[in-house]
Amino acid sequence: MKINRIIILFCFFLICLLVQGRTQELPSNQECKHCHSNPNLKKVLPDGRVISEYVDFDIFYKSIHKKQACVYCHIDATNFPCKNLQKVNCQRCHYKGNLAGAPDLIKYKEYGESVHGRATALGDVKAPMCQDCHGSHYIFDKADTLSRTNKEHIPQTCGTCHLNIYDIYRISVHGEALRSKHILAAPSCADCHGEHNIKEHTDPKSKVFLTQVSVTCAKCHANMELIKKYDIPVEPVETYKESFHGVAIKFGAKTVANCTSCHESHAIFKSDDPRSSIYIDNIPRTCGKCHPGASENFAKGKIHINPAKKEAGIIYYVSQFFKYLTLSVMLALIIYIILDLRKKLIVKRKGEE
Amino acid sequence: MFFSKKKKELEPKVSLDKLQGEIEQEIWDDLTKDLSLTPHLKEEIKKLVKERAREELQKELKDRYAELKEEKVEIPPPEVKKKEEVMYPRLSLDVRIQHIILMVSTIILIITGLPIKFHELAWAKFFFSTVGGLQVSRILHRVGAAGLIGIALYHLLFLAFSKEGREIFKELLPRKKDLKDLWIMLNYFIGRKRERAKFGKFTYVEKFDYWAVYWGMVVMVLSGLILWFLGTALRIFPKFVADIAKEAHSDEATLATLAIIIWHFYNAHLNPEKFPMNRSWLTGKISEKEMEKEHFLEWVKIQEEEEKEIETKKAEEGKFKEQRGENIL
Repeated sequence: MKINRIIILFCFFLICLLVQGRTQELPSNQECKHCHSNPNLKKVLPDGRVISEYVDFDIFYKSIHKKQACVYCHIDATNFPCKNLQKVNCQRCHYKGNLAGAPDLIKYKEYGESVHGRATALGDVKAPMCQDCHGSHYIFDKADTLSRTNKEHIPQTCGTCHLNIYDIYRISVHGEALRSKHILAAPSCADCHGEHNIKEHTDPKSKVFLTQVSVTCAKCHANMELIKKYDIPVEPVETYKESFHGVAIKFGAKTVANCTSCHESHAIFKSDDPRSSIYIDNIPRTCGKCHPGASENFAKGKIHINPAKKEAGIIYYVSQFFKYLTLSVMLALIIYIILDLRKKLIVKRKGEE
Repeated sequence: MFFSKKKKELEPKVSLDKLQGEIEQEIWDDLTKDLSLTPHLKEEIKKLVKERAREELQKELKDRYAELKEEKVEIPPPEVKKKEEVMYPRLSLDVRIQHIILMVSTIILIITGLPIKFHELAWAKFFFSTVGGLQVSRILHRVGAAGLIGIALYHLLFLAFSKEGREIFKELLPRKKDLKDLWIMLNYFIGRKRERAKFGKFTYVEKFDYWAVYWGMVVMVLSGLILWFLGTALRIFPKFVADIAKEAHSDEATLATLAIIIWHFYNAHLNPEKFPMNRSWLTGKISEKEMEKEHFLEWVKIQEEEEKEIETKKAEEGKFKEQRGENIL
């Protein structure tokens, strides 16, 4: 029995050693917290920028990675003091078939093909990686209001780099609706530009490529549910498709107006807002971008016209006139032809008899 | 009879020529005995003699056939030359060329214009990819438009400054008779009248076609020019004028296309009497049969004119002959 006890004790020590050895190798979150819970902890980068190294552990422990240890991501933070750490590579866990159960989605591939991913691959240090949009320590599900990728926060997230555009967007009709009125159906950056698959606007695959703009806008502006709920005018998309602009763009013309040519891409305002590109006084300038010398005559009349509706004014009556003229003339001619043919048949039969 | 039966059966032609020659010579000798003839008169006399000789011989032959028939020898009857159908001139070359230019321009305009109106249909996409894109189609449409406007202006000049044009225009003016004719024809179709209406040079159908083109031209050319030169147009007119132009251009195009397909195709192509087509637009001529049926009054008028002409000619010839006779004597 003595031998048995010795073996059990030996095993116990062995386990203790193993556990101790492991904890010695990888510092615990608690150890990181010693320094990184100090709000004044800062680091000076080689290019002179100063960044905070403070981590709010209270928020971190609510985030989606709350169960992960710091060193799972910061793999090179093994020794104290941890200096010159590499940027965290999310794909260490988020790859296809990983054992940790981290989600792996097509989005990683999409990112690689996107304008941001390609810039990163080319070594552009300013180009965003996963953590630049999703956050580094405070990652939440996008439905969570704390998330940087929550719909209401996306404009700010993108705006950290695209500051000028954010500045225009936030006062536009879409920005106002999303930020002030908290209408989640209003588009954030990602609704028009895409999320992981953002392409340059000159790329034909882009959602904001000139031939794709009307499709992208139509996602909401031809969506019957949204139209009813928020009283969005429905005609623009349909009438644009019927207009020369719409037909030309459909068959591949490259120098023709799409939605944003007239309504602007970010500075979109209601037509009665003087800041709007389609405010009556601004129309000559807006049309003049393509039609040199456009005068105030361009503003005399509606733009999105549906001839079948009375709101179209005189065009409605012109359309009705031609409709009834065509119907009556064709009816008369067809009746005449039928009478003529019938008589010919009768004469022929008589002749045969 | 001059010949034995056998001989006749073997070589009737040779014998006929011989006989003719003999008779000719006989008469010729008689005539030339005391007259010195000019070559022209000689020819004329020859001709007359030949004709008479032929008549006599034909009579002769008939008798012989009758004899041969009794003897039950089959000889095919002589082929009677088919009388060629009399054709009346209807459309001058000028008018025919105008029609062809109008036709080609209109076809170009319709096939390049309809895909814009019906852009949602699959064949619109097919058409644009076939011709090489919307830009090519737009240029083609303007080529067609230039043809149409050009021929319209030419036609107006033709009406104003050519004798033919003025005459045609007078005939084409709508009259009360056209309404009466229409009434008669409608009654004829439903069996309340037995006779068709008697038409002049142009029936009300043709007049309707002609004047419908005027209406179409005015609408299409005016609205088309506004859309073609939009920048210039909008310097003068407010935008809603251009919108009206677009609507009118699109709608009138439909009306015109339908009119061509239903009405013009029926009258000129699919009508059982004309199928596969009325060839006048190529030949410029119309057959006597059609003339009698569709332009009776014109036909009568032409015949009267012809008769008059023949009479005057005869009178002239008579005079001429009298003069000749005096000369000869």
